[in-house]
Amino acid sequence: MKAVNSRSFAARTSREVLPNGIRLLVLENRANPTVSISGYLLAGAYFNPPDKYLLSRLTADMLSKGTAQRSKLEIAEALESIGAHISFSSNTFTVSISTQSLSKDFSTVLRSLAEELREPSFPADELDKLKQRLIASIKHNQEETRLRAIERLTQVIYPPNNPFYQPPADHLISEVEATTPDDVKQFYQHRYGAASLILVVVGDVDTAEVHRLVVETLGDWQGAPASPINLPETPLQAEPRRELVYLRDKANVDVVIGHASRLRRANPDYLAAIIANRALGQSTLSSRLGLKVRDELGLTYGINSFYADSGLGDGPYLITVTVAPTNVERAIEATRQIVEEYIAGGIREEELKDEQSSIIGSFKVGLATNAGMASQLASAELHNLGVSHLDNFPDLIMALTKPEVDAAITKYLHPECATTVIAGTYA
Amino acid sequence: MADAFTKITDYEGIQEYRLDCNQMKVLLAPRRAAPVVAFMVVYRVGSRNEAVGHTGATHLLEHLMFKGTPTFNKHAGRQIAATLQKYGAVFNADTWNDRTRYYEMLPSDQLELAIHLEADRMRNSFIADEDRQAEMTVVRNELERGENDPGRILDERLWAAAFREHPYHHPTIGWRSDVEGVPTWRLKEFYDTYYHPNNATAIVAGDFEEHTALTLIAKHFGKIPASPHPIPLIYTVEPPQEGEIRFILRRAGQLGIIEIGWHTPQARHPDTPVLAVLDMILSAGVTSRLYQALVETQMAISVDTQAYQFLDPGLFTLTAVLRPGIKHAEAEAAALEEIEKLKTEEVSDRELQKAKNIITAQLIYLRDSPFGVVSAMAEAEAVADWKFYVDLPKKIEQVTAADIRRVVIQYFTADNRTVGYFIPKEEE
Repeated sequence: MKAVNSRSFAARTSREVLPNGIRLLVLENRANPTVSISGYLLAGAYFNPPDKYLLSRLTADMLSKGTAQRSKLEIAEALESIGAHISFSSNTFTVSISTQSLSKDFSTVLRSLAEELREPSFPADELDKLKQRLIASIKHNQEETRLRAIERLTQVIYPPNNPFYQPPADHLISEVEATTPDDVKQFYQHRYGAASLILVVVGDVDTAEVHRLVVETLGDWQGAPASPINLPETPLQAEPRRELVYLRDKANVDVVIGHASRLRRANPDYLAAIIANRALGQSTLSSRLGLKVRDELGLTYGINSFYADSGLGDGPYLITVTVAPTNVERAIEATRQIVEEYIAGGIREEELKDEQSSIIGSFKVGLATNAGMASQLASAELHNLGVSHLDNFPDLIMALTKPEVDAAITKYLHPECATTVIAGTYA
Repeated sequence: MADAFTKITDYEGIQEYRLDCNQMKVLLAPRRAAPVVAFMVVYRVGSRNEAVGHTGATHLLEHLMFKGTPTFNKHAGRQIAATLQKYGAVFNADTWNDRTRYYEMLPSDQLELAIHLEADRMRNSFIADEDRQAEMTVVRNELERGENDPGRILDERLWAAAFREHPYHHPTIGWRSDVEGVPTWRLKEFYDTYYHPNNATAIVAGDFEEHTALTLIAKHFGKIPASPHPIPLIYTVEPPQEGEIRFILRRAGQLGIIEIGWHTPQARHPDTPVLAVLDMILSAGVTSRLYQALVETQMAISVDTQAYQFLDPGLFTLTAVLRPGIKHAEAEAAALEEIEKLKTEEVSDRELQKAKNIITAQLIYLRDSPFGVVSAMAEAEAVADWKFYVDLPKKIEQVTAADIRRVVIQYFTADNRTVGYFIPKEEE
């Protein structure tokens, strides 16, 4: 039996920047006859024109709806008949790309991906169908207590021109209704291009062959130049607020407590902030919040805290807890106490050790699959951390000290000016 | 210690052993791709083993299995979740109709921790009344979360309507009043009845050395005797339905939903692979028949089918979430028309092959992760045995267009179906 490959990611991964700017990373892993691609383009919600929130998403979703060469159905038929997937999803700053296929079908998938990126035809009838489905799913989401609570919270924290702001559903629906094929084409022409494209290929492939295929299919693509991201940091609210979102017939209430995080991946204390949060609320079963509010008081099935979108921008910091309507106030009070105790006392030495060991272990476990490796490599590339970040990560974590983590707790956790949103059958 | 086992078979890269002292089945699926290992213990007990008064007991017990043992507990500074979390493990447990499973995926040098923990809680869990009281409200909140989702409630009502006598009638989470009222002794009784090595299968996949894994399993599970009693069998059989059942669920909501269920045979039945292929033909991807008939035509925003594979006969379900303004009956008629077509015209070779390729590719993707491997084997153990998982691709390959037509004619009849509508209540 072949031993586990112990060579570093830096030694095993090939990284190349093509003349048109595409950053291509390839990692061979022969364990299973499959291949995953993970990638990014800078074409997410941040780049939407003023007062548009879903144009980036409609554009990303339209990529698979037909090209200059083939109809939506022809593309789908080709991929589905080999059990392969290509998906595009629009995020705050990026459009993320992911594919899964058997290795024998890799070239079919890469050619389709290139065709969808380079030659989308944005057929009007397909846009219309997509718009109708999107409107229905916006309505559907209005039933979800958790989504409604987060939506309201972002409206309190962020100004409407910030990409983390989520407008009310009626605004979104009128925006979608008004979107034309020209809007989508223009967004595509201004935002999609090789210059911001990152592609990471991991699996049962030959590096030279992948390189050759990428050059052949995407090597002469130019498209739009990369646009810079320049988003000012969102300050904390001056005061705490409390908001209710009433929904009928809900047995469960979602409570979300949050504030602007002021944390991005590029912050030098990013990892300290991540560890600071983990001890508080990473795990509903074993973090401080879970031990109190779930394990001891039995108030909830789930309580977690997390930086919701701290990457290229400073998304919100959130504590989410689900409770029966009768337990809302007790859960909020217990949560407040735990957070205040944590801020006052800081992380315990043994908690720090456990969280260091935990995040390193979970990082390793996450790298067990092609998709896991591809996604970590793509993320490292997006944030300019380099492939070696995957090798250095354990050392960076082990180097963190209690004073550093305590400083991050003080800097990033601010219950005194957090907004609490309660969504459900609760008044 | 590896001589504590009898080797039963070595088949398609998977080795089956029996731990002689207590008859526990052990499956090893080594694949040393990344330094990660997955360990799972699956017990052949699920909500199928419950009855009125203690529905949800299997699931509530599963929660109590995290509350500790004399070795792993909060007071000893070794709370189960925190101990696993410390090594970055992906871990949890879940309960379904036919089984309860406990698992850890973690760095391969921590395999013994997972084996030790699972062996320990197989017989040494506290199952204390104070823990039950605190955890009951946690589970009740889990139930309430589920109740927020109209699609989930509709599905629950569908199974309850389609199964009158067999315990698939009730949901795994249990009826609310049973969850609230079940006494601790009843959970303890469940534990003492079903949590024994001879009612479990232990599965290891990923990066490990076979001899070491067997030695560790013998060391920790070898101390546990087999159950002092035979494991009770479930003998309730659902009689034929004899006529369509229809019901309506009305509550607040935005979009209508229809769900249809047809009774289908148990996983071991030879028609199972045929139903699996049919599932793909009907709803896998944009080119599938129901997507074309309902989503492309703007009647539904999504459509899905499920060919459930259970130990006892289950259901084949079809669910469509409707676009605003579309009448339920109209969408139902369009969906049923697609079913009827399959009774008269055979599917093309191309369509059949596409469905098979999707299943085959999914089974290969599963093997990317050790967790995917142990999960698939555990599900197979719960409803048939692990070779069911290994042999499925071969059986899928043998399915013919005539099989599809025969199976649709046989099972997809009006008398054998249950139809539920979720109708959003108008604003008051």
